[in-house]
Amino acid sequence: MKKNLKGKVLNIENVAKDTVKLQFSTSLKEIYPGQFVSILIPNKTLRRPFSVADFEAHSSENGIITVLFKLKGEGTKYLKSLKKGDSIDYLAPLGNCFTLPEAGKRAPQKALQKALLIGAGIGIAPMLYLKKVLTERDTENFLISGFKDEEEAVKGSDRTVIGGSVLDNIQNLLDEFKPDIIYSCGPKIVLELVCKLAEKNGLRAEVAMEKVMACGIGVCRGCVIKVKDMENGARLVKNASVCADGPVFAGSEVIWE
Amino acid sequence: MGIDLQSSLCVDFGKFKLQNPIMTASGTFGYVDEFDAFLNVKNLGAIVTKGVTLEERPGNEGKRIFECTAGMINRIGLENVGIQKFIKEKLPKLREKGINFVLNIAGSSVEDYVKLGEISKANNIKAIEVNVSCPNVKSGCLEFGTDEKYLYELISRIREAYDGFLIVKLTPNVTEIEKLAFAVQNAGADCISAINTLKGLGVELNFNGTKVSKSFVQGGLSGKCVKPVALSMVKRIKEAVNLPIIGLGGISCLQDVLEFVAVGADAVQIGTENFTTPDISERLILELAEFIEKQGFKDFNNLKEELRK
Repeated sequence: MKKNLKGKVLNIENVAKDTVKLQFSTSLKEIYPGQFVSILIPNKTLRRPFSVADFEAHSSENGIITVLFKLKGEGTKYLKSLKKGDSIDYLAPLGNCFTLPEAGKRAPQKALQKALLIGAGIGIAPMLYLKKVLTERDTENFLISGFKDEEEAVKGSDRTVIGGSVLDNIQNLLDEFKPDIIYSCGPKIVLELVCKLAEKNGLRAEVAMEKVMACGIGVCRGCVIKVKDMENGARLVKNASVCADGPVFAGSEVIWE
Repeated sequence: MGIDLQSSLCVDFGKFKLQNPIMTASGTFGYVDEFDAFLNVKNLGAIVTKGVTLEERPGNEGKRIFECTAGMINRIGLENVGIQKFIKEKLPKLREKGINFVLNIAGSSVEDYVKLGEISKANNIKAIEVNVSCPNVKSGCLEFGTDEKYLYELISRIREAYDGFLIVKLTPNVTEIEKLAFAVQNAGADCISAINTLKGLGVELNFNGTKVSKSFVQGGLSGKCVKPVALSMVKRIKEAVNLPIIGLGGISCLQDVLEFVAVGADAVQIGTENFTTPDISERLILELAEFIEKQGFKDFNNLKEELRK
């Protein structure tokens, strides 16, 4: 159940150029890869959503949520200015999660023996947490990530592509690794290509989308995307909110525009 | 909640009663109990549902949200489930949960609104709020709420169809709000809520060397930045008509609530702040009750009288 929670900053550090890792305490017992938190920024109307890049559940208030972000605007600038012990006001857990081998909000899938994870830029954040959980749950996985240059590269991948596109030699990797499913997060253009690639190779894909959000819980309809209406054949297209119906969508349901 | 609020905060509009003057604004709170994760929706004076039209609507294409200094601009475009689905799926839940609510309705012709009024009556919906910031297709898409003649006709027709508590939500995008408030009163409305969003424009500029790309988000401005406009409008409406007024526009704290009551509001709605602080409305009920007790007012009505002196 989502809640409005308070935590304390445990650690804040630069992990790459203009890229910050923020860790804060939480009383949450579970939050899954793909889900996000929405952090209050003083004097800002809208909270800022961040994918969970890591999570450790502990007793009482001692769990740890990790988020990663690029310095972009006033919100991220404020977060970077926080010091150890400062308070964080956040909504969590928000959104759905990637399909996981067991537990999680989505139905478990049998065909989840091997997973290829593709993170483009800061899109690596949820991939890192997903990789950890897949590994814990004995699913063979391979994380490939791509960054503009060496300085911006975040560690933790099995292969890191610097410059060019993370998808440049991806077909070779697919042929070699033979995944059952592709998970990805990154800019829309990359996610669209990932979905096309999956379709071409007859693979399932799940992508975590991003959009400016207001409420974060599906009521304001500010962050909708177009998806195929799987349940209702009569109407082919429907809106889905990235914050509540997503952020994770099956590659086959997203309508790219 | 810690204290007994039932009698001291009660607002009695005759046909419609609120256990306290704190309501939530249309479009910021869903249809039913979506905010139950953060507060007990049942404790609110009333919620105003997301705007509902005759047919289901997908809303606008493209970017819908733009954050600006002390507020935001939205161009959702009335995405909603439509009245039939509302009646079938949302209404039973509202009733089962005992949530006091106002149905917000919107249309593009007088006939749309009249039908919505009839359906509301047929389903025994106690209160409706009419969104008049919609383009009237027959008048060349001039908004109903900006022309006193069209507004009078619209509200008169809804009045004939619907005998419950009829609230008209006025738009601030007019020169003389008094004339529109007066038209609404003459047409037989029971209450005015003010204000709807202001027209605003968000401009996004991106530079790649000398190459510029820009995008615009033209929509309704809301949030803290609109409060002075809303206060001014409520005050002018209060001076022009005798109808009860529900004030809204940028309310985020108890001080804001008191200011709106001081200039003429009998109840208030919390809108954009629900996104920032999801339990704000319930917090305000508690704070208001505590304030009344601490200051020594008899009840909310007594506070209102003193604020208006």
